Amino acid sequence: MTGADIVLEALEREGVRVIFGYPGGANLPIYKELPKHPRLRHILVRHEQGAAHMADGYARASGRAGVVFATSGPGALNTITGLATAFMDSVPLVAITGQVASTVVGRDAFQESDVVGCSMPVTKHNYLITDVHDIPRVIKEAFHIATTGRPGPVLIDVCKDAQQADWPDPVWPQAIQLPGYRPAFTPDLSQLERAADALSRAERPVILAGHGVILSGGEEELIALAEKSATPTGTTLLGIGAFPVRHPLSLHMTGFMGTGWNLKAVQDADLLMCVGMRVDDRVTAKLADWAPRAETFIHVDIDRSEMGKNRRPHMEVVADAKTALGKMLPHIRPPEPERRRPWLTQIDRWREEHPLRYVHSNGHLQPQDVMIEMYRRCADEAIVVADVGQNQIWAALWWNFAKPGLFINSGGAGTMGFAFPAAIGAKVARPEKDVWCVAGEGGFVMTAQELSVAVKHQLDVKIVLLNNFSLGMVRQFQDDFYGGVRSEVDLHDMPDFVKLAEAYGLPGRLVTSADEIGPAMDFAQQTPGPVLIDFRIDEEANVYPIVPLGLGLNDFRELPDDYA
Amino acid sequence: MTTPEIARAQRLRVLTAVVEDHPGVLSRVSGMIRRRGFNIHGLSVGPTGVPGRSRMTLTVDAGHAEVDQVEKQLDRLIEVLEIEDLTETPRINRELALVKLAVDEGSRSRALTEIDRLGGRVLDEDREQLIVELSGEFERVEIALEALRSFRIVDLARSGPVAISKSRDRGPARAPGTQAGGGAG
Repeated sequence: MTGADIVLEALEREGVRVIFGYPGGANLPIYKELPKHPRLRHILVRHEQGAAHMADGYARASGRAGVVFATSGPGALNTITGLATAFMDSVPLVAITGQVASTVVGRDAFQESDVVGCSMPVTKHNYLITDVHDIPRVIKEAFHIATTGRPGPVLIDVCKDAQQADWPDPVWPQAIQLPGYRPAFTPDLSQLERAADALSRAERPVILAGHGVILSGGEEELIALAEKSATPTGTTLLGIGAFPVRHPLSLHMTGFMGTGWNLKAVQDADLLMCVGMRVDDRVTAKLADWAPRAETFIHVDIDRSEMGKNRRPHMEVVADAKTALGKMLPHIRPPEPERRRPWLTQIDRWREEHPLRYVHSNGHLQPQDVMIEMYRRCADEAIVVADVGQNQIWAALWWNFAKPGLFINSGGAGTMGFAFPAAIGAKVARPEKDVWCVAGEGGFVMTAQELSVAVKHQLDVKIVLLNNFSLGMVRQFQDDFYGGVRSEVDLHDMPDFVKLAEAYGLPGRLVTSADEIGPAMDFAQQTPGPVLIDFRIDEEANVYPIVPLGLGLNDFRELPDDYA
Repeated sequence: MTTPEIARAQRLRVLTAVVEDHPGVLSRVSGMIRRRGFNIHGLSVGPTGVPGRSRMTLTVDAGHAEVDQVEKQLDRLIEVLEIEDLTETPRINRELALVKLAVDEGSRSRALTEIDRLGGRVLDEDREQLIVELSGEFERVEIALEALRSFRIVDLARSGPVAISKSRDRGPARAPGTQAGGGAG
């Protein structure tokens, strides 16, 4: 067998079904063998960044590692943003990149880049293979590392001569030997009991849930724990979907663009338990002012290095969220209803005082109206993939599922252009699911070339373009925090998106008023394959609430009363 | 006399890591340190008694909280087999400095006396310069260097710190195949 064949055979042995990739000089041997492996479905992308985001969406929607192929030099470098996106959000990917022959590595050969060096800060681990005999072991290790513990991307750079070398009887390793890698932590039972006891005794407890709950499949355990302990529960942006937002105990989204009642509850809580999350700056806003009344801060995360990275916990539980929540559950003593009532009543009052508000009577199409109608049609079932910017926060805040669901977005890296290729990947992974892609026009054009992929494979992704002809979030920040100087945010010179869609071979619709939302979405849902709807939204619509940069969560600002 | 250098040497925290001797492992460790903005004072690398395993010694000029993060972040690296904060445990630490001192007839005998008093060794000498070896605990080396600054130090090479715990445990540097350290990745 050639090294190239061994690569493909190893992928089959790992259960890989789909590869998102792009051929080039340094991975030609692999592409030569690919047709002999019909069980591996290859999706030819239009740009390698698209491949990485598709693999990312595929992984988030399926729970399996996404696989990317790219050639050396520019091909591999084009995946870097996608790897960084997956790394920040703990998504399992395996990227296999071609590298120039080992005999010329380090000599600035054609299309040579130090891809291992470049990807080191944005991968969980990476490898350079110069010897065909390393291929089976490295691929097995890569999938193990990508998918266990805190998941993440792994890159394997395979020299072209290793792909071409012959190894007639490859040896497939049975066991993995990584003495420096112990992903499975058995949680400390006494810590779990202490945490459960503290939660049972708290007067004003709050749980915040992050991506780790979804990655571990711990949604049911989270609901059970919240209900048994009568604890109001919110999520991070990446945790959306982990807890039903229509649940009576839901605090919805936290963070500097979170809901007012969530932020009030976090700031007033006497016990705060964060599960499967990093406690980053977008969650805390000004760290010194975050959760000032929390006498007990419990941090549950699979990654030991998150403990005390930003805020030192009183109790730490190093374990995956599902295991930790499941093991805490029996130790929870339900509070007397009388004892919990003041706190829940207080939160209800905050919910009434600080509802999500927007103006929808100024004659312009409001993005929130579009989101509300889209979510009505999701019926607690669809996968929604959002891009980055105002569209992301609108999609997050108006997510309304009554049960756990999948809301996918680039929360950590904030990668514009993520949503559409990720939605393609999600649809490939879960063809039975409706998939909606919410994006602004700025981010959408960053990866719009992947429309060809959706058309070629007739992937039923419904694109909701929230088009305000500007970089809306940046414009809002300039208006609110940078003296109102609108600098380089105007995007009126955009293509006609309906024509753009048609040029790629999918139908498009233009919507300029609220009464056209429903019919356009009817059309999208009734039309097989991808559909794009260009919603011309209010160019001045903003995201609220928002905490001004540098301030604490208590300083959140809401929609001004005189806003029109 | 306590200069800022000596004061710093006295509060350095000492971490020791056993790593797999793969290409790129030093790059991984140093990249992590730079990326996270850690305040590393010294880093030295050398082989252990076991083929394929190297030992790194890091000295960190920081409080406990930051050292805790250095330790945890390095532990995440898959090729880091074991990492230990030796600051509070019984240990031996050493550093080696080679000092090139310019001397003349007036200063030469004073310099030799001082070197002798400091426990240094003269490795090479001619009429105009002495090459001196200083070795010992970090603080001792700092104190000795400070004393030699009253002469003219022309050049200086330091090994960086090395340390080993006094524990009788057989760590991964001695017993291949033992699992130790590890991280959530």
